[in-house]
Amino acid sequence: MTPIRKAVDVNLGALAEALEKKICASCDYLDTAECHPERCMVGFARKVLAFVLPKGVLDVPGASQLIPAEDFKVYAAEDVAAALAETLRQCRECRDNHSPDCVIALTRACLEHALTGQRIDYPGSVFLYLARLREQDPRLAELVARELRHGTPSEG
Amino acid sequence: MGEGYFQQRNGLYVLDVMGACGLMTGEQFRGLAAAVAELGVPAVKLTTRQTVVLLVPEEKAVALKAAVESLGLRVAPYHNVVRPVMACPGSADLCPRALGDALALGQALQERYTGQEVPKDFKISVAGCPRGCTEPYCADFGVVAAGGETYNVAIGGFGGSSRPRHGELIARRVPRDAVFAILDHVLERYRALAQPREKLGRAVERLGLEAFLPPAQLLRPAEEPDPVLLELKAFLGAPE
Repeated sequence: MTPIRKAVDVNLGALAEALEKKICASCDYLDTAECHPERCMVGFARKVLAFVLPKGVLDVPGASQLIPAEDFKVYAAEDVAAALAETLRQCRECRDNHSPDCVIALTRACLEHALTGQRIDYPGSVFLYLARLREQDPRLAELVARELRHGTPSEG
Repeated sequence: MGEGYFQQRNGLYVLDVMGACGLMTGEQFRGLAAAVAELGVPAVKLTTRQTVVLLVPEEKAVALKAAVESLGLRVAPYHNVVRPVMACPGSADLCPRALGDALALGQALQERYTGQEVPKDFKISVAGCPRGCTEPYCADFGVVAAGGETYNVAIGGFGGSSRPRHGELIARRVPRDAVFAILDHVLERYRALAQPREKLGRAVERLGLEAFLPPAQLLRPAEEPDPVLLELKAFLGAPE
């Protein structure tokens, strides 16, 4: 039987953990009154992951329109690269069927926006994405590739 | 209006039988199987348009048609008409990928439009998600569920040609009722503007897409977003 892709088929917990441990843990605003998840790229992504996990869905049509636009914090490329690499580990490589409203894509878009202020049009494939990222930001591409090679893969 | 009833090279005839967008009950399948056995049908073939073709000797075609109709099925209309509608199993009960009730919408479209006369055969495909298993961009009128009982609509596509053409998106996230209103408009424009035996897509190429576009109010996206999105907004504490 060919399984249909659902939230339980990917390790969304690993994504949430990467966001929490690699980015939030080094954020000056963590556990302060200035921590506003709804206005923070990483906080938003973590909340969306928390929302979909019990529902067992991966796509929320229209969710990509909710990505906050007013997060002007400065993020360290090294921290973001680790989480970005985790989104690539979890990516199902849907190719033409890639959905920007998939929570993995949503998390990746938040991280791209956090770091570069821009979103990279995802080609539905990790390899093609890395090639595209290298064109736009060679250093970030190298950091992500290094994370993929040497980072701690999630347990699926 | 013609019916799907043709002579084959071997002298036998085929009867093209349509169900509810490919959906048949066990009783209908058993009834067809009984008719196939009783009338000496040598072969049954599934078609790309989710219909079933039965091969039959000419003298038994009338009896086979009666058997088909007694099962609540019908012989598909043919020639320059709206053809049987293709729909995927997208629904709350079936395909887990579905973003909307494509099957019920397809059945309703088939019920209302199939057999209506048009300048050239007119094919409708309904898909429950952007994966488009029913190839909605290769149909004269393609519908793709977009979440929350809203649909995207493309027109002017066709595949069965040496020069196939992809449909062009004309409406995004319109409510279910608007799909019918848009189709009414497109069919009316198609009948008024197309040359005899001209596919909708070729008419679009000749006259421009604008000539077939419905009024702006019909293309307005649904105000009600997907219920899961509403739930997410509430979860995020965002204003609705």
